[in-house]
Amino acid sequence: MRREAILNAAIAIALLAVPLAAQAMGEPFVITLATKVAILALAGVGLNIALGLGGMVSLGHAAFFGIGGYAMAVLAAPVQAYEPLMTWPVEVAGTKSMPIIWLAATLAGGLAALAIGALSLRTSGVYFIMITLAFGQMLYYFAISWPAYGGEDGLSIYVRNGFPGLNTLEPLQFFALCYGVLMVALLFSRVLARSRFGLALAGARQNPLRSAALGIRPYSVKLTAFVISGAITGLAGALFADLNRFVSPAMLSWQTSGEIMVFVILGGVARLFGPVAGAALFILLEHWLGGFSEYWKLFLGLALLGIVLFARGGLIGTIAGREVAHD
Amino acid sequence: MSAMLLIEQVLNGLQYGVMLFLMAAGLTLVFGVMGLINLAHGALFMVGAFACASVAAATGSFWLGLAASLAAAAAAGAIVELTVIRRLYARDHLDQVLATFALILVFSEGTRWLFGSFPLYLDIPPALAGPVTLPGGIDYPLYRLVLIGIGLAIAGGLFWLIGRTRLGIRIRAGEADREMIAALGVDISRLYTIVFALGAALAGLAGALVGALQSVQVGMGEPVLILAFVVIVIGGIGSIKGALVGAILVGLTDTLGRFLLPVLFGAFMPPSQATTVGAALASMLIYILMAGVLVVRPGGLFGRA
Amino acid sequence: MTEPVLEVRNLQLSFGALRATDGVSLTLCPGEIHALIGPNGAGKSTLIGLIAGTLKPDAGQVRLAGRDVTAADAAVRARAGLARSFQVSAVAADLTVLQNAVLAVQGARGQSFGFFRPALADAALRGAAEAHIARVGLSDRRTIPAGDLAHGERRRLELAMALALAPRAFVLDEPMAGMGPDGAREMTALLDDLRHEAPILLVEHDMDAVFALADRVSVLVSGRIIASGTVAEIRTDPEVRRAYLGEEMLE
Repeated sequence: MRREAILNAAIAIALLAVPLAAQAMGEPFVITLATKVAILALAGVGLNIALGLGGMVSLGHAAFFGIGGYAMAVLAAPVQAYEPLMTWPVEVAGTKSMPIIWLAATLAGGLAALAIGALSLRTSGVYFIMITLAFGQMLYYFAISWPAYGGEDGLSIYVRNGFPGLNTLEPLQFFALCYGVLMVALLFSRVLARSRFGLALAGARQNPLRSAALGIRPYSVKLTAFVISGAITGLAGALFADLNRFVSPAMLSWQTSGEIMVFVILGGVARLFGPVAGAALFILLEHWLGGFSEYWKLFLGLALLGIVLFARGGLIGTIAGREVAHD
Repeated sequence: MSAMLLIEQVLNGLQYGVMLFLMAAGLTLVFGVMGLINLAHGALFMVGAFACASVAAATGSFWLGLAASLAAAAAAGAIVELTVIRRLYARDHLDQVLATFALILVFSEGTRWLFGSFPLYLDIPPALAGPVTLPGGIDYPLYRLVLIGIGLAIAGGLFWLIGRTRLGIRIRAGEADREMIAALGVDISRLYTIVFALGAALAGLAGALVGALQSVQVGMGEPVLILAFVVIVIGGIGSIKGALVGAILVGLTDTLGRFLLPVLFGAFMPPSQATTVGAALASMLIYILMAGVLVVRPGGLFGRA
Repeated sequence: MTEPVLEVRNLQLSFGALRATDGVSLTLCPGEIHALIGPNGAGKSTLIGLIAGTLKPDAGQVRLAGRDVTAADAAVRARAGLARSFQVSAVAADLTVLQNAVLAVQGARGQSFGFFRPALADAALRGAAEAHIARVGLSDRRTIPAGDLAHGERRRLELAMALALAPRAFVLDEPMAGMGPDGAREMTALLDDLRHEAPILLVEHDMDAVFALADRVSVLVSGRIIASGTVAEIRTDPEVRRAYLGEEMLE
């Protein structure tokens, strides 16, 4: 436990120190990479609540990630086109303000998770995996065939959205914002795990029949966790779209779902900082291996196979030991 | 809208359905017998298509290509089972998902490395090219008709294999109680390899057959895989009959939805808007069907739960 | 006679052609231990599932404290005071003994949707949980993960969790299963104590325990109750002897 806490602190400091150093050395690209790590880690923190705490193997989290991204586009696109967002029943203008966009993305992600979770949680095990994957794919095809927001080609938002008091066009400031959101989400995730709800969720994961016999409906507890999970991943989607100033159906694809899951598992399932370590490792691999071979994902696949078959517990589990915290 | 056009679309849906069945049958067998969720099943579909396309291009014979697709997919399946998959039977579904996701990366990037990023093209064999006139005067592509025939024949063969043969008895026994049949002296690990290779061969065959209708490219397997999951959820996991019914239901719903919905919306919308809304809704139709089945029968139409 | 706490009226459930529960009626009155015995496959587990709410009957009624709970699910029945233990120990293995007990207390109180305050920092929850743990004699094992407990200890933890529901009725599925003679003796003493908390419907194979504890015994065979009465009555009931006791008791 202590070792894991020290490791977590080290990861948090490193993720902050790298872009600061990059700023000093005039390497803005590295700042962008670190921002990407923070945002993808945030998506993983969301998934980890469903997967790690709730035992729900969702292979459809790209749905929430993409919905968050499109929530940003839906709000910001009318502004750059000098049009209102909607005219009926009342006229509503779009917005370029991040706090409002974040709220919308969080709500949209949570609502989508409510709908998908309510159906998917009627089943469990492999059914749950296949169904979440299928609903993710449904939204992917919908995004492709719906032309209003670019269809297959996606949609560019040319100017990054703003945050009161900050210049988000400045890479380091945008990084700081994403880093801050990530830290808040991590804190929330830690508080949640130890709360009464976290305990109920652990009970529902480990022994649903027993939970019901204690008066706790596993379905309600799991669905609540799934909604929280989708909401956080939705928020990450909005930030990701803002980082790239672009949304496309690719955010909703099954590969994205698989990659978010890979972040969580590379780092260590149910480990607080697992998604951060995992996302960082993934981006580093992408950057290094990608420079070395066009087919870097082949090596990623082999590495992943090795980790699953031989190094269970992920990065954090390997370094900090398998013991999970007991209070 | 003419009745002929509708019949043609029904046949298209049927053809789509039986090809999905070839994918879903392997998945559902592997899950039923070994309790394994295999995301890499779509990669085996791709392996079959690439094997067929490259052998057909080298020899000029589609049929040699087809044989190669069966052999290559079965071999790839057996190798993967022996090296990776058998370490996963005792693991939880999460490990299975991750490891088979990793296999997708390996297969996809490996194929890209070997064949490049450009799609290959596979021609319909000359003997099956061209249309055939059905009773009622409908012209329909012979090749698609043959696919329906092959698919149904394989479905029949699978029912026979599972229901009537020694291997089938062992497969069903393996679904029921794996310790027991191991105790009875059946070589369970060989049985698993055979079942996995059989499922892989079916996926590879489907890939080759469908490859002649579309382009053969990296990543072609996964959308089909996800559709096969939808089929299994609808049909009920572990049930071959469920896979067949689910596959045909999905094939027909998707094909007819794409055909009929824009027409339907055209009745009360301007045409361009009707096409857009109809197409978008049609793309979601099978998932809506799946959601409906989940609400009514969470275990699937032929599921045990 | 006092009003029964738990009452089952003419419960029926078939699985296909098999009538697993075939018109069962029984009552559980305050202060008593009512034992339910029967050979394997008699339908005891099905009956428990129906009473606890994990199975839904085709016909019949389950009443708890005078209220019809037939339509309520397991969680609602639990919060209404139906405390159930499982044949195979069912605890959350990765959670500690204390965490399991806190989980039970918050479940009973319907307080599982607190998202911020640490569960173990809640003095009221923790106090109640520790009292229940003490009651079953596990205080010194509080911080051990439940999965690491010995078999008998795990069964006692289950009882502590059942106690947390402030039960009106216990439904205990083979609490003696897998225990050695010492463990069984301790458990018998504990159950004899618990009956003052709430009456116990005891499904048990250990006949020594049944005869030592039960005020009434009902015999379930092929989904039907063929006899019900005091221990002495059951021992001499000709139908019971024919159907069941023949093998197990007369030797």
